[in-house]
Order: sequence, then C-alpha cells, then structure tokens
Amino acid sequence: MGKMRDKLKQYLKPGYYEKYDYHWGMTIDLDRCTGCEACVVACQAENNLPIVGEKRFKERREIKWLRVERYWEGEYPNIKLRFIPMLCQHCDQAPCETPCPVAATYHNQDGLNTQIYNRCIGTRTCAVYCPYEVRYFNWFTYKWDEPLEQQLNPDVTVREKGVMEKCTFCIQRIRQAKDHAKDDGRRRVRDGEVTPACVQSCPTKAMVFGDLNDPNSRVSKMYKNPRGYKVLEELNTLPKIVYLKKADSDV
Amino acid sequence: MSISVRDALGTFKKPAVISIIGLIGFIIGYVIDVTVFSDASPVQPINFSHRMHVSKNSIPCLHCHVYADKTPSAGVPGVSKCMGCHKVIATEHPEIQKLATYWEKREPIPWIKVHDVPDFVYFTHKRHVLAGLACQECHGPVENMDRVTRVSSLKMPWCVDCHTKKQVENGRDCWTCHK
Repeated sequence: MGKMRDKLKQYLKPGYYEKYDYHWGMTIDLDRCTGCEACVVACQAENNLPIVGEKRFKERREIKWLRVERYWEGEYPNIKLRFIPMLCQHCDQAPCETPCPVAATYHNQDGLNTQIYNRCIGTRTCAVYCPYEVRYFNWFTYKWDEPLEQQLNPDVTVREKGVMEKCTFCIQRIRQAKDHAKDDGRRRVRDGEVTPACVQSCPTKAMVFGDLNDPNSRVSKMYKNPRGYKVLEELNTLPKIVYLKKADSDV
Repeated sequence: MSISVRDALGTFKKPAVISIIGLIGFIIGYVIDVTVFSDASPVQPINFSHRMHVSKNSIPCLHCHVYADKTPSAGVPGVSKCMGCHKVIATEHPEIQKLATYWEKREPIPWIKVHDVPDFVYFTHKRHVLAGLACQECHGPVENMDRVTRVSSLKMPWCVDCHTKKQVENGRDCWTCHK
C-alpha cells in the first residue's frame, strides 16, 4: 500500500523526492542589476553556447541560456527602464518534465531540472510547455571559427543538431565542488564553494547562488527578503529563483 | 483434381533463399568485424609489454601512470620517463632502439588509445582509484598482457551495472556521468 502511495506521488509529482540532497537555488536582486549582460557573456563562454549568426538570430533561433529582458515602464517624462535576467527557474514542479516522451529531462537528487543531450530526440515539446521560454533548440550543428574552438569548455558537451538545451546551473562546477569536498573528506559542499558562471561574473553581485537546504547559507537568508517574488508563481511551478523587487525612491 | 499450393509457394522460394544467404552473410560479417577488425587490441608503434614491466619487474601502475589518483586522466608517461630507465637498461633490444629514435627526434610516441570513452562522458580516474577500485577491475589483467587488450566494453550498461552493484551514491543519476 505504501508502495502504491509512493507510486501515485511520483505520478502526480514527476521527479518526486522526499528531500533533495542539495536544493540549489538563486536570488537575483533587480535593484542591483544594471543590465550589463556580463552574465550572458559568461554563460556563453562557460557552457559552449554557439554563436548562431545574424541570419539565425533574425529567425529567432539564437541560443542564450540566460538572457536579460528589457521592459520600459511609464510615459516619457517618468519613463523607467527595467531589466530582468531570465534563465531556467529549475522549477520543483517543472512543466517541461512531464511531456518528454523519452524522459530526457528530469529532476535529479539535487533538485536540478536537467537535460540529457544524448537521450533527447528533439520533439521540442518541453520548449512549448516551458512558461519562461528558456529552453533552446539546436536547429543546426554550429561551427566555431578558427581560434574560438580553443576556448570550448572540456567539461561541457558540444551539442549537435536536434538537441534541446537549457541552463544547468553550471552543473559541471557543482560536480567539481563535490569532487573537491570528497577530496577533503567532507560529505557536503560548503556555502559559497559553487558559483555558476553568471553569478561569478556579475559586477554588482546581484546574483546569489547556494543551497536552500542549508538554513545558514547566503541564499536562504536572501530568500526571506520581503522584496522577493517569483516569476509566474501563480502557475504553481515552484520556481527556485527569487527575484528581489526593484525599490523605487519616488513611490 | 486437387488444388496444390506448391506452385504458389514456388514464387517465395527465391526471396527465401536470398534472405537466408543474406542472414548467413550478415552473421559471418558480424563475427569477422568483431574478431578481425576489432579495435580492442590495436598494434602499437612500440611493442610495449606490460607483462615484462609489471609482472616480471614488479613496477606498480602508478609509477608510470602518475596522475591516476590525482586527476581525471591517468596519464601516459612521456618518452623522458621511459628513457629514465632505458638509457641503461636493455639498450640493445630492437624495441628500445625504436624508443631511442623517438627520444632523439624529440617526438612523442603515437600510442593508439585502447580505453576511450566518448566526449560526452564525464569519467574521472581519481574518484575511482581513491574509492579503492583496483585498476584490473576495469582494465582487466593488464599485468599479464603483452599487448594491451580492452576487456570491458566501456559502454553505459557496463558502467551502470557496476554503479548499481556497488551502490554508488547517486551512481544512477544521468548527470553523474553525462556532461
């Protein structure tokens, strides 16, 4: 009977875990974000993202695991510019995981929404289901021009045509941190040992990354900030990225 | 007068014979491919014998493959490492003469890789060695091989089998090995 209940839970909540080993989460302080797109460049370099070229860009086939969205607010004299870095929210109830016919995308024990490139057959269903539009499809096998292939990250696969890809929270860095922790004889990774490329590159330190299971981590403390909100929370996707509202002085 | 189906069956005779011959040909081809054209035991530029070095002269694996317990790749020793001993030992042997020519030309030996995993696989020797795995568990009895032969398939089911058997922590998570 207990087994049945477990099965039902698994069915209702794909990638169901009682408790995650780690619960990687992120906060982005929009008060600090200047929209400089350093994170976008860092992500591009770290994760072997292809430069698709002008033509493909116009066809909306660009690949950016992290993009900075820009919004104008108000009328001319009181006009305001808003930035919001949009990346995979690693939802705990991810809508993208349920439709995959080959289970290429799933929730792993670290609470990460992951994508297995070898398994993906390119139905693109997940991209349709994702409310944040942060899944990108490789429409072509992209080439790196002569000196650029030298800077490809050996810890990340170079994806080919027909494969869906998305932000991994720089899982290669998480893996490396766990590796170092094991070398030191520790069971767990300490707070601040893992920094994804975007967090590392942010000049204003707007992004904070860490383990939500640890109540003393920086990210857990930032999570309790009253300015915090989650994007499209009403869809009950339980996103793991908390945005801290921009505080305006003239309100 | 009876109706015979034999005439009707006759039309299937030719395709049946062709398909049987094809099947036999396929099986023979597969066997030849696996045995003759296998890349499990390639002929190396120098007939280096692990048996000579490990079994007879009892040199431990980590003496030459120094990075096995420190980095993801175990490391193939450079020519300088070989010449460290072979400047004085068995210098007359024809294979050592070959080694000496590489040394004089200042060129690396173009060893052919026997154990290789695809680029999308994250494999680290360090974790496996530090977990107390013997080299032979994956590489087979290399100490008795004159020419290194790949014993394990190095395919995913083989990896997952061992991870399951040894109850590796998160050993069955895709992102433990895929990258």
